Amino acid sequence: MRDLLSIAHMACEVAKGEGAEFVDVVASIWKDVSVELDKGAIKSSDVRWGSYVSVRAFIKGGMGASSISGSFEDDDVVLCARRAVEMARIAQPDPDFVSLPEPLPYKEVEGLYDPRIEAMEVSQLIDFLGMNVDEAISVCPEVVVNGGSSASFGESALVNSLGVEVRNKWTSIGLSISSVVKKGEDVGSYYEFDSARVLSDFVPQGIGRKATEGALSFLGARKVETKPMAVILGPLATHDLFSSICSCASAEEIQRNRSFLIGKRGEVIASELITVVDDGTYPRGIFSSPCDGEGFPRRPLTVIENGVLKSWLHNSYTANKAKEENTGHSTRGGISPTNVRILPGKVPSEEIIGSTDEGIYILSGSVSPNPITGEISATIDFGFKVERGRIAYPVKNAMIGINAIELMKKIDAVSSDYREEPGLIMPTIRAQNVLVAGGV
Amino acid sequence: MDFKEIAQMARDEAKRYGVQFMDIRIREGDWSSISLQDGKADKIGTGKGVGMGIRVLLNGVWGFASSDEVTRERAMDCLKAAVEMAKASLSRVRERIEIAEAEPIEDIYESHYEIDPRSIPLERKKEILSSFEKAALAKMGDKAANTMLWYSDSVTREIVCNTFGTLTDSKYVRVRIGARMTAKEGDIRRSGYEGVGRISGFEVIEGLSAEELSVAAAETALNLLSAKRPPAGKFPVIFHPDISGIFIHEALGHNAEADLVLKGESILEGKLGTKIASDLVTVIDDATMEGEWGFYKYDSEGVPGQRRTIIDKGVLVGFMHSLETAAKFGVKPNGSARAQDHGSRPIVRMSNTFVAPGSSKFEDMVKDIDLGILLRKGQWGYVMCEKGQYTCHAGEAFLIKDGEIRDRLCDVSISGMILETLENVDAISEEFMMEKGGGTCGKDGQGMAVSGGGPYIRVKEVVVGGQELIGGERR
Repeated sequence: MRDLLSIAHMACEVAKGEGAEFVDVVASIWKDVSVELDKGAIKSSDVRWGSYVSVRAFIKGGMGASSISGSFEDDDVVLCARRAVEMARIAQPDPDFVSLPEPLPYKEVEGLYDPRIEAMEVSQLIDFLGMNVDEAISVCPEVVVNGGSSASFGESALVNSLGVEVRNKWTSIGLSISSVVKKGEDVGSYYEFDSARVLSDFVPQGIGRKATEGALSFLGARKVETKPMAVILGPLATHDLFSSICSCASAEEIQRNRSFLIGKRGEVIASELITVVDDGTYPRGIFSSPCDGEGFPRRPLTVIENGVLKSWLHNSYTANKAKEENTGHSTRGGISPTNVRILPGKVPSEEIIGSTDEGIYILSGSVSPNPITGEISATIDFGFKVERGRIAYPVKNAMIGINAIELMKKIDAVSSDYREEPGLIMPTIRAQNVLVAGGV
Repeated sequence: MDFKEIAQMARDEAKRYGVQFMDIRIREGDWSSISLQDGKADKIGTGKGVGMGIRVLLNGVWGFASSDEVTRERAMDCLKAAVEMAKASLSRVRERIEIAEAEPIEDIYESHYEIDPRSIPLERKKEILSSFEKAALAKMGDKAANTMLWYSDSVTREIVCNTFGTLTDSKYVRVRIGARMTAKEGDIRRSGYEGVGRISGFEVIEGLSAEELSVAAAETALNLLSAKRPPAGKFPVIFHPDISGIFIHEALGHNAEADLVLKGESILEGKLGTKIASDLVTVIDDATMEGEWGFYKYDSEGVPGQRRTIIDKGVLVGFMHSLETAAKFGVKPNGSARAQDHGSRPIVRMSNTFVAPGSSKFEDMVKDIDLGILLRKGQWGYVMCEKGQYTCHAGEAFLIKDGEIRDRLCDVSISGMILETLENVDAISEEFMMEKGGGTCGKDGQGMAVSGGGPYIRVKEVVVGGQELIGGERR
C-alpha cells in the first residue's frame, strides 16, 4: 500500500501545476467488520475494505471537486486532480473565498485509535452480541432481539497547498440492540447501544438487558389528551435537541440567511440554566479529531452560556467572510458540531420527575426544530406520562408543537446526573407548559 | 479481464467452497453535480467509483465481503473472506437460512434516455440553474433571503452474477434538479422546495420551466410568510397527492417489507389475507414504472422488478420479498431486494409506492369537513414499524373549516397509528399524481431511490403536532 501522504501530496502538486490557486486533498483507506443479529441469531458477518482520494481545487474562489475510489494508481490520481481544476475553472468566482487554512500547530487528541479494535476479529463481535441476546432472554424469554455490532478502522492524510499536513488514524466500535416484546396485540419496544473509540471505553455488557427492560416498560401504551403540560427530555432527547441547535448555529446557515438564530448571537435564547459546549478535542470522544476536515486545529467552543447564544460554528470560508476566528468545524464541504456537552445542573433527575405534577417524559426521540423557522412539530417516539411526580404509563400517538427558542426559555430544571458517551454529556431537562397533542 | 469475466470466474470458484449459494455484484458509476447559491454556481463536483460485493450462503448463514478494487485477485480475496465470515458465524446460528430458487436470467439492460447528460457541457447546466434562480429572484423581489439550486446526474452500472446462473448487467442514467427558496419578511423566514428526479436523460431538464421548479418554490416560500401556526390535537386530514406517497410509504410500506415481518418488527406479522384497511384502500408498489425514481429492471439479486399489490380493497394480499424471505414464506421472489452500493448487502426495499385512485372528487372530500387539515408537499417521514406508529411532515398545509379551504399553515407534522389510520380512510379521490421529485428512503443505514404518489386521501382522524389549542386560550 502506498503512503497516503505521498499520494495526497502528488495530487496537490498536480492540481497546483494545472493552475489551481488553492488545493486540498484527502487520501484515505478504511476497513469495517460487522455482524448482523436477526431474531437472536447471527444472520450475517461482513467485512468491507475501501479507499478514496478527494481533491478540492479553487480558482478565484470557485471550487471544483473530484473524487475517485478504489484506486491509488498514479494515472487515476492525476486524472482526479486535473478534473478538480477543470471543474474549478468552470465554477463561478466567489469573492468571499479568501483562503484555505494556513498550517498551525495542533495537539494530538488522546485515544482516537486502538490497535485492538483494528485487529478485532468477527468472532469477538459475535460473542458480544451473544452475551446481549442471553441477557435479553433472561429478562424476558419471549423477547425478539435484533441488532448488530461493528468495528472500524481508518487512516487518512490531508494536505493543502499552503503546507497543512495532517495524518489521522482512527478506530471505532459499536453495538446496538433493539428489543420487541409482544403480549397479544400489545407491543413494547426499545433500543440501547454503546459506542467508543477505544476498547477500554466500550461497555458491551448490559445493552440487551436495558433494551428489553425498556421494551417491557412500553407495554400498555395509552393515548393522552391535548393540553399544555411539562415536558421532560431524557438524556438522549436532550442531546438531540441541543445538537440540532448547534447545527443551526452554523455560520454557513447564518451567512446564507436561512437560520432562525440569525440576529440572536449575544441574546438570550434559552433558560439561564443552559450552557452548551462543543468540544472536538475531548480525549476519546466519539466525534473528536485533532483538526477539522480542512486541517484547522479543533478547540472547545462555548455555543450557549447561561442561556446566551455565544458563538457561530465556523469553517475557513465562513470565518474569513465574517472576519472572525475559525472555530475548526469544517467537514470539508460544510459545517458540523462535534461532541456536544450540555453542562449538568444541580437537581437529580429523579427530583425533576418527582416535582412534576403533570407532564410527558421523553426517554428518547427527535425533537429537532425546522432549522429555518425554529418550529418544532415532533412525535414523541418513546415517552411516558408523568402524573403527581411519578412515571404513570407509556404514551402513544402523541406529539409536541412549540418554537425551539420558546421551548429552551421554558426550561426550569437541568439534572445533576447525566448519561455520558465518550465526549458527550447528556443530562435530563424539563420545560414547563408545552402543548402536547394527543389522540384522545 | 472485464468485469463480467471477473464475476463469472468468482462464481465458478465459489462452487469449490461448497457454498449453498453465492452472488457477486459489481458496481461502477460516475456522477457530476453543480450547486448554485445566492447568484454563484461556485461548487462543481465530479466523481467516479467502482466496487464489488460478494455474498455467500454457507451452512445456513451469510458471509459478505466487499472491496472497491475490482480485479481477479481481489475477487478471490473477497470470496475467501466472505466464506471465512460465514464460518465464523456458525456458533450462533439458530435456524439455517434457505433461499428461494430464481429463474436464471442473462440480460443486458440500459435505461431509456434521449440525451446523455454527460454530453451536455457543464456551462449549459450552470446556465439553466442561473436562469431558474433569476426567475425565482424576480418572483421574490425584496423578500428574497436565500436561493439554493442544485443539479446532478449519474450513470451507474450493476452486474449481478450468481450460482443460479444469473448474469444481469443493468445501466441507469439519472438526472435530478432541485430548488429551495427562502423568503423573509421582518424576522419571519419561510422556505419552499421543489425537485424533479427521473431515470432519464437531459431532455427532462431541457423540458423543465422555471415556473415548475424555482418559481414554484419561491411562491411556496412567499405564501408561507403569512401562514399561521397549526392547531394541536386530533383532526380529519386530507393528504394531497404530493404527500400521499410519503404517507403510504411510512404508514404501510415498511411494514410490508418481508424481512421486517420475519424479524418480528412488523405489525403486519400474521395478518396476511386479513382485512387491515378500509375497503377503499388498494396499495401498490411498482418497480416497473420506467422513468420513475424508484424504477429498476432487475433488483440487486438479479430478479426482475415487478408490480406488487400489497393491499387489495382493504385486504393485505402480499409482501415485498428477497430470495431469502420468499423461501421463508414459500412464495416466488418478487424482485424487491436492493443494495445501496457494492459494500451493502441487498435488503428488501420499496420502489414506487402508491395508493390506487378511488371515485371521490377532491372538492366533495373537503365539503364534508367541519374542521380539519389539508396536508401538502411531503418533506419527510418515518415509522416505528413494531409499534405501528408513523410520522409525516408537510411543507405546507391548510386549515379546512366549514367545508372550505381557509388559512395556510406551516411546520405541520402528523402522527398516527397505522392500523387505525388505514381503517379510518373514508374517501379517496379519482385525481391521481406521482410525485416529481423522487426521494431517498433510509433503512439499516442504506439510502435507496424511491418514489411515490397517489390520490387525495381523507382520514377521519390523525394527530396534528400543532401549537394552537382549539377551544382553549391562544398561547
